[in-house]
This record gives sequence, structure tokens and C-alpha cells, in this order.
Amino acid sequence: MNASAWQMLQEGAWTTVWISGVSIALGVTAGLILALIRIARIPVVDQILVLYISLARATPLVTLALFIFLSAPTFGLNLDRNVAGILALTLNTTAFNAEIWRSAFRNFSREQREAAMAAGMTPWITFRRIMLPQMMITSLPGLINEMSFLIKGSPAIAVIGIVDLTRVTNRISAVTYEPLPPILVACALYMAAIGCLVWLQRIAERRANRLAT
Amino acid sequence: MFEKNASEKAMPETAASRTTAPEQIAVSIRHLSKSFDGVEVLRDVDLEVREGDVVTILGSSGSGKSTLLRCINWLEQPDRGSIHIGGQRIGVNDAGRPMPVRELARVRARTGMVFQSFNLWPHLNVLHNVTEAPIHVLGKSKAEAEAHARELLEKVGMSPKADAYPNTLSGGQKQRVAIARALAMQPQVMLFDEPTSALDPELVGEVLSVIKDLSAEGYTMVIVTHEMAFARAVSDQVVFLEKGLIIEKADPETFFTNPSTERVRKFLERDES
Repeated sequence: MNASAWQMLQEGAWTTVWISGVSIALGVTAGLILALIRIARIPVVDQILVLYISLARATPLVTLALFIFLSAPTFGLNLDRNVAGILALTLNTTAFNAEIWRSAFRNFSREQREAAMAAGMTPWITFRRIMLPQMMITSLPGLINEMSFLIKGSPAIAVIGIVDLTRVTNRISAVTYEPLPPILVACALYMAAIGCLVWLQRIAERRANRLAT
Repeated sequence: MFEKNASEKAMPETAASRTTAPEQIAVSIRHLSKSFDGVEVLRDVDLEVREGDVVTILGSSGSGKSTLLRCINWLEQPDRGSIHIGGQRIGVNDAGRPMPVRELARVRARTGMVFQSFNLWPHLNVLHNVTEAPIHVLGKSKAEAEAHARELLEKVGMSPKADAYPNTLSGGQKQRVAIARALAMQPQVMLFDEPTSALDPELVGEVLSVIKDLSAEGYTMVIVTHEMAFARAVSDQVVFLEKGLIIEKADPETFFTNPSTERVRKFLERDES
């Protein structure tokens, strides 16, 4: 592999990293918001969210990415392909994250909440200072799991023309006729990214032990 | 039978302030009734707790004593009746409607509660368990809250563990931290819900001695407990609850040596055996 091949790989890796990173950040936050809305059990809104979550969980990423990118013009939107890619990944991961957050909320101990209320905390302070920090710790293993699924699923966005870490290996071998080296490097990079998450997960689990009283 | 000589107990400051203003009522409960699924757990309960007094609530399990205590800070909502804390009604506003959550939280902050199962916040260390509410509810500065917290931890003998997390503490240590946490809000009344029932027998003493110290300092306390000797030593008033009714209300001497009801006599006999 020559210098330009390395540079292409680097660019592809960067594309995967930033698009996944943005989608993860949006997806974790949106998942929390959806979970809270669902817990409020607002009629109609709740049904719509249930429908969204089951649709998003059932749709393959490739299909979702294509659908968003191709249907946008029909709605008069001219979507940048990166935006469409992020939207597809986010819509997918949000649905899973919402369920993770919701179960953390539902399983939150009544005693903990009572201790907060007895100390004069409003529901909002209770949520922000007592519930959310504990929910984050208990949800983190599940959320990180979902993050690694997202990264591993991210090559799907190549279908709308984004040159990510996987797609770029194709481009390189089209020039060099040596498909093996770039794909090996790509594999190593994916493994490094997932490795970081596994390491994070281990830290998260150690902190979670603290909650097991 | 509600009269009791203030000088009987050593209470440096509040004893004095109480003799000058003997009518200061910390908690006033009137006609309190509550049912769970059609079963009446509290029936027309009246109770007054004077400032600086220690009131213990006794009764067999299921008599409604924990429910009564939990109504005082509105963790349970009574069906009828009223509760005032330092003259301020809790749970219901002037218009007779349920209090908005923020207002309710403000009134609740006048009480401090110690739970049977401690309920420390496991994601915070000991010091931050104590400073959390003073900072985020009372709006104290971090430095001020921490200084006060360290004093309180000293008082309950937990200063060496200020940086420890709750899961590394014994039950007795957790409960002492929980007491410090409740005291940190400078409440008008401390509520103890069976504070030693979840403890190993050899750890009960350290918690009871902290509570005894507080009573000597003149804190107003309402205590639900099964510890008879402790109740006798610490109380100004003992209340006996049976099927949601207060059937005996007396000073500890009378209650333990010459109760007026057969039911209490039986209850005390059983405890001795």
C-alpha cells in the first residue's frame, strides 16, 4: 500500500468515527428524552413512540439509510448524504437506547426516591441529582453495547455514497488490485474502536458495583 | 398527662427556650385517617409534638405506626385530617388543594427522615450524601455545606469515613451517616422509621446512642421503634398505636410501669418474656 492508500484509509476511518460519534451522542440523548416521554404516558404520543420504536428496531440499517436519502427529495428536502447517514444511524440507535433508559427508570428504587423527597428535593432535582447519575451507571453497559453495534453497523451508510472505513478499502483495492492489506487495516481499526468501548465498559461495571449495596 | 417537667432532661438551650415559650408546637396532627385498599390503617389520629420533645410511637407490626410517621412528611397522603409542621400545613395549600410539588418540597425540608433501610445514595460518598440536599435544596455554598457536614459526621462518629462510599460501610455506619444527612437540613423535626430494625444486634447500640445524644441536645424527634428500653430512656411522650387508633398516650414512666389499657400491659409483658 502506498502513501495515498494510507491517506484514503485515514480519511475513511475519520468519516466512520465522526459520523458514529455524532450519532451515538444524539442517540443516547434522544433515547433518554423518548424514555422520559414514554414514562409520562401521554396518550397518542405514547402510541406514536411505540410505533416508531418497533419500526426502527425492525428495519435494517441499509434499508433505513436508503429510505431516508431517497425519500427526502419527495418531501422537498435536499439532504446532505452525511446528514442522511447520521439520521439513519441515530433513528436506529435511539429506538434501542430508549428501551435501555426506560428499563433503568422503571427499575429505579422507590426507597432512593423517597430519601430524596424526604430531603426536600423537587422531582426535577431528584431526577437530575439522584436518579440520572444512578441510571447512567446502571444503563452504561447496555448503552455501550448498543454503541458497538452502531459502529459495527455503520458500513451500511456506504449505500448512500458515504466513503467510510469499509467502503474505502474497496476503492483502494480497485486501484492496487490487492484487497487484503486495506481490509486487514480496516479490521484492526474497527477492533481498536470496539476495544476502547470494551475498556470503557469495564470501568463502568466497576462503578456499577458501588451501587450494589 | 401531657404535662412534663422540662428540667427532667438535660437540654441546655432548648430547655430554656421551651420554658419561656411552652406552647411551641413542632408537629400537630389532627383527625388523621388513611386507608389502603379499603383497610383503615389510621383512624382519626390526633397527636401533638412540642418543640424539643421526643415522641416514640410503639405498636405491633401493622398497627399503622410507620404510616403515621410517613404521613408527617407526606410520603404517604392521608385521606382525611391535617398535619402542620411548625405551623405550616403540609400537603394541602391555603385553597384546600394539593400542594404544588415545589411548595410541598419546601415544607418537607422542615423535616428530616431516617429510614429503616438507610437509603443512602450509593453514587455519592459519605460527605456528599450529607451535602447534597443542603447545596441543591437550601442553596448553600459547597464550602459552607461541607464544613457543616464535617461537623455532623464528627457528631455521629463518622468523620474518618467521609470519603468512603456507602457500599463499604456496615449497617450501623450507614444509619449514622443517614442521621447526619437528615440533620444537615436543620429540620424542625427528625422522623425515625424503625432506625435499628434492619441492623445486626451488635450494631443497634451505636445508632441508639447517637439518637440519645440528639435528644440530650434538644432535637425534636418522632421515633417509631421496637426498642423498649430505649423508648423508655429517651421519650417525653410514648404513643401506642393499635389497628390505626392511638389507645395510649403517656409519659414513659406511666406508660411502662402503669399503663391504663390491658392491651399495652400485654404488649409490655410479651416484650419482657
